[in-house]
Amino acid sequence: MRAMGQIDRTKRRILRQAVQENLMTLRGLPPPRLVRARPRWRRWALAVSPLLVPAALLALALMWASTGGDSAAPPPGEMPGLPTKARLASPLPSESVATTAPRSPLASLASSDPNLRLPHPAPLDPSILALGVRRIVLDPGHGGEDHGTTGPLGLVEKELTLDVALRTAELLAAEGFEVLLTRDSDISLPLDRRASLANSMRGDVLVSIHVNWIPNRRARGVETYWLGPTDDPFIKDLAAAENRSSGYSLADFRRLVEGIYADVRKDESRRLAEAVQKELYRSLARLNPSLHDRGVKTAPFVVLVSTEMPAILAEVGCLSNEDEARLLATPKYRRRIAEALTAGIVAFAQQRATTARSEGSS
Amino acid sequence: MSEKKNVVCVGIDLGTSRSAVSASNGQRHIVDSYVGWPVDMVARKILKKNVLIGREALDSRPMLDLHRPLERGLLKEGSEKDQQAVRQLLIHLLELAGLGEKERENTQVRAVVGVPAEAMRVNKQQLRTAFAGLVDALLIVSEPFAVAYGIEALLHAMVIDIGAGTTDLCVMNGRYPTEEDQRTLLNAGDWVDEQLTRLIAARYPEASISPYMVREWKERYSFVGEPHGNVLVTAPVNGKPTQLDITEPMRIACEGLVPPIAETMLDLIARVEPEFQEKVRHSIVLAGGSSAIRGLDVALAAALQEIGGGVVRSVEDPMFAGSDGGLAIATDAPDGDWEKLVG
Repeated sequence: MRAMGQIDRTKRRILRQAVQENLMTLRGLPPPRLVRARPRWRRWALAVSPLLVPAALLALALMWASTGGDSAAPPPGEMPGLPTKARLASPLPSESVATTAPRSPLASLASSDPNLRLPHPAPLDPSILALGVRRIVLDPGHGGEDHGTTGPLGLVEKELTLDVALRTAELLAAEGFEVLLTRDSDISLPLDRRASLANSMRGDVLVSIHVNWIPNRRARGVETYWLGPTDDPFIKDLAAAENRSSGYSLADFRRLVEGIYADVRKDESRRLAEAVQKELYRSLARLNPSLHDRGVKTAPFVVLVSTEMPAILAEVGCLSNEDEARLLATPKYRRRIAEALTAGIVAFAQQRATTARSEGSS
Repeated sequence: MSEKKNVVCVGIDLGTSRSAVSASNGQRHIVDSYVGWPVDMVARKILKKNVLIGREALDSRPMLDLHRPLERGLLKEGSEKDQQAVRQLLIHLLELAGLGEKERENTQVRAVVGVPAEAMRVNKQQLRTAFAGLVDALLIVSEPFAVAYGIEALLHAMVIDIGAGTTDLCVMNGRYPTEEDQRTLLNAGDWVDEQLTRLIAARYPEASISPYMVREWKERYSFVGEPHGNVLVTAPVNGKPTQLDITEPMRIACEGLVPPIAETMLDLIARVEPEFQEKVRHSIVLAGGSSAIRGLDVALAAALQEIGGGVVRSVEDPMFAGSDGGLAIATDAPDGDWEKLVG
């Protein structure tokens, strides 16, 4: 009787767990996992960040004032971004700046004087603002009718990217980040819509997750992209393939690219790409000894072009290689990819927090 | 959850090659997972049906647009026809279980369906979509778990479910299996068919063989280890029916399954808490259509020798083990849980 009772209890518990897992799938959540403790540095960073932000803004304002507010400004009449006619009208005499009481950039912006020229600031390193990385937008590539690439074992890129994104989201949430996804189900989402979603979500960084397909079937590896031009014909083809459903016209695209190549986000994107690529290779090579580190690269992927935050595109595996496809078919490997992406994002956030601390103390 | 007073529970094993249904009204059926539509008016006139399913479809395949809508134990993607085929297959399985459209109007159908252990969330969503409107509530579980539940191997046991598309291994630790407790291999019945086709073609290049012939030969003669006699089959060679000896190709193709399954089995055992490993080693159960390969249990037991030995046995009814397990789950799940799984 006791054995029967134990079986019944075990059955009841197992059934509850089975139902719970189904309910989580219905609600669009990944299956339950152990939640890891939030690292000490992250708790510290979150605790002090409300103090660091005003302190950094104050430091910035003082720096601005001490340099006269236009140390890096182009000569009068050479104000970028203004029509030529406006540039030539009423140039701001340099002595007038020197004799004016120090003004914060915010005070300048508040002025209603139509003739007032705003000083052109020096290129801004966002880390100086000690702005923590808190909200991560994950973009699982492809979806719906857009299957992405298909592997020799019938694996479909859109499914793999969603699976990895959901796992990553869970791990990042356990680290204390707020995580948003451009899609959490099998839906079609044009690239312009992904970008506008990411922008409206006001993420601190965007990580777009993809799986590669390389014509040389023996090739395998991971690579991470940030926005930039490229002469590599393979990358051009890859970008063309990924950009196919962008929804942007050529004029839109040109406008976006021109506005972004000079953007401060590119340095942040590069750092994020380096951190993620390092972790991807380091972590996955243990399970996949033949993995090739294909490195950090630049390419004009639309999803990176039109987002307003540091953004990268990670090719987390290679479906054209049968051995790697077999690995990608296993949850263990996909979980390792998610852990690597998380570690890369955390490393980037930590780097930012460390920079902020050193700036704050100097 | 529903005004329908009559409740029927069903367990469904939606297989790449064959699908099975077990219902609480006593119905148990198995169907080849093939769906075909007549290719033209002439075919429709001869077949007198708009859609053919299972063996009937296979037998009439020259006149049909034939689909095998499952791949690796999951719904195939990309083709609307395959989506329709899955739906037709499900309708057919429910009809066989006495749950046609008319019956379903007055009956609350609660279904448990098994999927490969490592099916992704998106695959489960697709399955839910395929079931929409056909059942009142749906619970999706991993296939080897359904088998384990059906035979009450819930604690310190391992189920190896060898189907056509996948081999699923699952350790039962007295809880609903997590990803860490399960593995899916693509080395299964279809893989054996591919190897066998290749080996026969290499030995008898003039012979004309089809995937259906190879599958039938495998199901009838498959073995691992020593043969009980020569495996002789007949196939056309240059149009003339000829006897072929496929003993060696059959042995090689079937034995190819052993290393990946044995390796994964040992790996999963090594992850069990040390004090329970011996219990798991002595409670390994084979299920699924391809577990009927003669001598496979012995070969896997031999692989266990290197870690202290163990016992590998086959379930009594491998073809229905998954659907019977699903039915047991459906029957045991409380009403309150089913109410949460509506839709």
